[in-house]
Amino acid sequence: MSGLGAWLQERIPIRGAQLQELTNEPVPHHLKRWWFALGGTPAYLFVVQIATGILLAFYYQPSAASAFESVRYITEEATFGWYLRSLHKWGATLMIAAVILHQMRVYFTGAYRRPRELNWVIGMSLLLCTLLTGFTGYSLVFEQLSFWGATVAANISDAVPVVGGFARQMLLAGDGYNERTLSRFYILHAAVLPTTMIILVAIHIAFIRLHGVTELKFEDEPDDQPRHFNFFPDHLLTELMIGLVLMILLSALATIFPASMGPKADPLTTPEVIKPEWFFYVSFRWLKLFSLTFAVLSTGFIVAAMFLWPWIDRLLRRITGVEEISVYVGIVATFLLIGLTVWEAAVTH
Amino acid sequence: MTVKTKQFIVGFLGLAFLASLIFVQAMEVARKQAESGNGPAHVAIPASSKGCVECHMKSSPGIIDHWEGSTHAAKGVGCVECHQAAHEDIDAFDHYGATIATIVTPRDCGRCHKTETAEFLASHHAKAGNILASLDNFLAETVEGARVPFNPHSKTPGMDVDMVNGMASVNVGCRQCHGSKIALEGRDGSLITVDELKPDENGIPTNTEAVAQVRKDDNGRPILDVGSWPNTGIGRLNLDGSRGSCSACHSRHDFSPRRARQPENCGKCHLGPDHPQKEIFEESKHGVAFRDLKHHMNLDAKDWVLGEDYTQAPTCATCHMSGHSRNGGRVTHDPGERISWTNRPPVSLLMDTDVEGNVIKETDPVERQKLIANSWQDKRQQMKNVCLHCHTQNYVNAFYRQYDDFVINYNEKFAKPGTKIMDALKEQKLLTSVQFDEEIEWTWFYLWHHEGRRARHGASMMAPDYAHWHGMYEVAERFYQELIPQAREIAHHAEQEGKTEQAKAVLDVIQQILDRPEHEWFEQAKKLAADGQASVLPDAPDLAENHGIRKKTADTPEVKDAGAD
Amino acid sequence: MPHNTDTRDTGASADDESRRGFLERTAAVAMAGGLAAGYGTLAGHAVRFLYPADTGAGVWQFVCTLDRLGVGESLSFTMPSGARVVVARQSADDDAEAFIALSSICPHLGCKVHWEANNDRFFCPCHNGAFDARGAPTEGPPAAANQHLTRFPLSVQDNLLMIQVPLDNVTVSDEEATA
Repeated sequence: MSGLGAWLQERIPIRGAQLQELTNEPVPHHLKRWWFALGGTPAYLFVVQIATGILLAFYYQPSAASAFESVRYITEEATFGWYLRSLHKWGATLMIAAVILHQMRVYFTGAYRRPRELNWVIGMSLLLCTLLTGFTGYSLVFEQLSFWGATVAANISDAVPVVGGFARQMLLAGDGYNERTLSRFYILHAAVLPTTMIILVAIHIAFIRLHGVTELKFEDEPDDQPRHFNFFPDHLLTELMIGLVLMILLSALATIFPASMGPKADPLTTPEVIKPEWFFYVSFRWLKLFSLTFAVLSTGFIVAAMFLWPWIDRLLRRITGVEEISVYVGIVATFLLIGLTVWEAAVTH
Repeated sequence: MTVKTKQFIVGFLGLAFLASLIFVQAMEVARKQAESGNGPAHVAIPASSKGCVECHMKSSPGIIDHWEGSTHAAKGVGCVECHQAAHEDIDAFDHYGATIATIVTPRDCGRCHKTETAEFLASHHAKAGNILASLDNFLAETVEGARVPFNPHSKTPGMDVDMVNGMASVNVGCRQCHGSKIALEGRDGSLITVDELKPDENGIPTNTEAVAQVRKDDNGRPILDVGSWPNTGIGRLNLDGSRGSCSACHSRHDFSPRRARQPENCGKCHLGPDHPQKEIFEESKHGVAFRDLKHHMNLDAKDWVLGEDYTQAPTCATCHMSGHSRNGGRVTHDPGERISWTNRPPVSLLMDTDVEGNVIKETDPVERQKLIANSWQDKRQQMKNVCLHCHTQNYVNAFYRQYDDFVINYNEKFAKPGTKIMDALKEQKLLTSVQFDEEIEWTWFYLWHHEGRRARHGASMMAPDYAHWHGMYEVAERFYQELIPQAREIAHHAEQEGKTEQAKAVLDVIQQILDRPEHEWFEQAKKLAADGQASVLPDAPDLAENHGIRKKTADTPEVKDAGAD
Repeated sequence: MPHNTDTRDTGASADDESRRGFLERTAAVAMAGGLAAGYGTLAGHAVRFLYPADTGAGVWQFVCTLDRLGVGESLSFTMPSGARVVVARQSADDDAEAFIALSSICPHLGCKVHWEANNDRFFCPCHNGAFDARGAPTEGPPAAANQHLTRFPLSVQDNLLMIQVPLDNVTVSDEEATA
């Protein structure tokens, strides 16, 4: 045993104490509250998505001729295929939800403020990457709704001034959905976006380590309580518990509501009722409310504002003198978000 | 929360996750079990038919879709296995590198389905093409149409009609059930059929002159006469000398046993005014039960054995063809094997059949016994073995007693007398030799061919309304109100023309019949009126209940029964 | 677990000390067990997913009617994948034992063997390999390595010879399949 230890020590010249020093970031005590552990949830789900995604890629064939059939094979014939596909689908849903919840927590606690503005920008990029991954992933099933969703989305991007046409050409590899479109979605979904996200997550975590986690103090806490606890093993155990609860939740969702197969994509017939995935309900409803150009431009404006919010927030506070201005804006935005989503979900057209 | 507690919780959650995965495992096992044997069988397109499938999938996908659902497809029997032809076959042609023929005959099916084909060829079904020279066919060919094309007598706006095909009714009517004589077009406009080709035992034509006459299209494909093809009539006379068409019941290209087991399949032909077997079945308790319980009848079962796979209700196939638990599940493709009366001719005959399967007409008991290869009692016993799955021996025997009584009553009271009157008219040359040119010939045809059959079939399959109102009631009306008066009128007419003896011979036959006890009621009242003893002539339906008449005929039990009915 | 940082824990007697040590070990084992059971099973499921699903032993396909093949005769059956199988009749019996279906692919290096009726053997021209009528190697490299010709299951149903062919092969080009 000690022989093996020495052998390893010689080849990997790092000592246990050093490793502990590197990983054992002191964690602020407020993270004992579950609500503040949400940042780890999307990260954990991202790992689940990578694992299940790699498994699904063993069988998936990204071509118009065989995509649907290969998804059918996974769902109906491969052992546990339906389960892993359902895990992947529900994992995506939960991951997007977790990212949004995490972002809301950061927003409402003002954790994006100086000096953490850049990490907010990284987070925003991660949000966009997550949504894009969700969109491209759904398109891969090549069923009616995913096909028409992709077609509509590509044509929306066309409405963006100047770069719109270029973006559509780049996305669809042509004027319309064609033989080479699906492989683009596939490589974006399975390689480009996940790699980008891994890099962004690494930077995101590095920033957290460099800045330290924002410390918060709650009124009901006793003063003599220690301000920090160890990441290892205490916080790690918390994360393990969250991870397992998520797995059980995913398992339950996958078995109770397994991913199904819609009708195969038919480029000649648009279905009567067409909806994107739930996380695009907001923008879908927005598009129906306004003219295409206005909707696209306003969406672009809102996204830009979200990216630049740490600075806009500072400007607003200085102008108005209201410290909680961001909270008020946030509440309005949240209601708008929920309202539009529910509206879209409740009506057929 | 202490680290220890957290560790326990993590351990517990891990086990809970394990439990959910075990549940997933159970679901997977259940799913695989539900799918095994349940879903459609894997179809691997046989290499020999790959080209056919690829092309026909685009040109005529219905054919391929049907075939893909067939047992043939599941067992790797593709297009060429059935459609392949020898170069010497008269209707063979080259189709993208394969030598095939359009029409698949029982000879082709028999390459694999030997027993079924042999049974079918022994059946009355295979002889259905014999109609082509019969009385019924005279109706369609001559009475309804014309044996030779004739000129139209005015224009058909929108279409250039220069000749009327008088065989149209035969082609579309008779032959689609009975089968056509498949014909090829000859170079000289003649038609080349099995008669000209004289095929050998392998179906290869021996008459080289006829072979040389066959007209071919630009692709070298022999041209089938449109009058004879398309045709899936059950007694089709094929170019290779074989008889029949398996697809009459086993519709191409899925050859669904499920469909062949259902009455609608037989109902393509066995319906209508002259033999409404399907409607009779539907009226009977059997049909009512089938309609209700159809979905519990395991119609998709591989071997559909009565008493093992189902017992809920019978279909046509159940009683006449299908296997059951008392015969080891043996299916027969000769639906006559279990039929003890033939109700097809004017006078019903018992189904004693000779070695060739023909109904024996010999009347001498000793001679008859010598000819019998399969007696009507054997056939009836076979049918009883089916009945006994749901009925007791007593019940079945008593049913057959009721049925026999009914047929014999029809035979003796109307069929034989009717035949005798018609024969007398012909014998005395009071009718022309041409059929259907005199009213009484139509009357007699209606009596036995339509109404008489309806009555007997109604009795055979327990449909009271067909036995009585659509049957015997109309037989009786036709006999008393049309056949007798028309025969007398012909006789009286002959008398006026001086053919006194001939007229008397016919009138004597009629009178002898009417003097029989079962007919005595008919002119009893008239006689009494003539004798001045009756003041009122009662309506015909009330006659039996008329007290005066009943008294006179009280010694004949039939009338007593009728009165009590 | 070396670290217990919950500061509210206070010292206790030696008995408590050992009890706590036991509890700590139990907790650690319970956690490790739970994690291994949960994630381990998930990994097992993943392996089962990747292992090719059972497509059954293949499908039964019609070859010919029994009378098409006389004793000593053989025919070449083309499978859905396009691969050829030599089917030969060895006796006049009407059961599956009378027939043999051998792959025409030489197990040595994949060349095509053919039946030599006069020598009563399958012969591979590439390296002079030879097999007897039952597919057992008699000469050449296959004999040295004891490589048999692959046999396909056969059955006889209602006087029809049926062969069990695999479902999942990659299909070769149409030309070869229809040739």
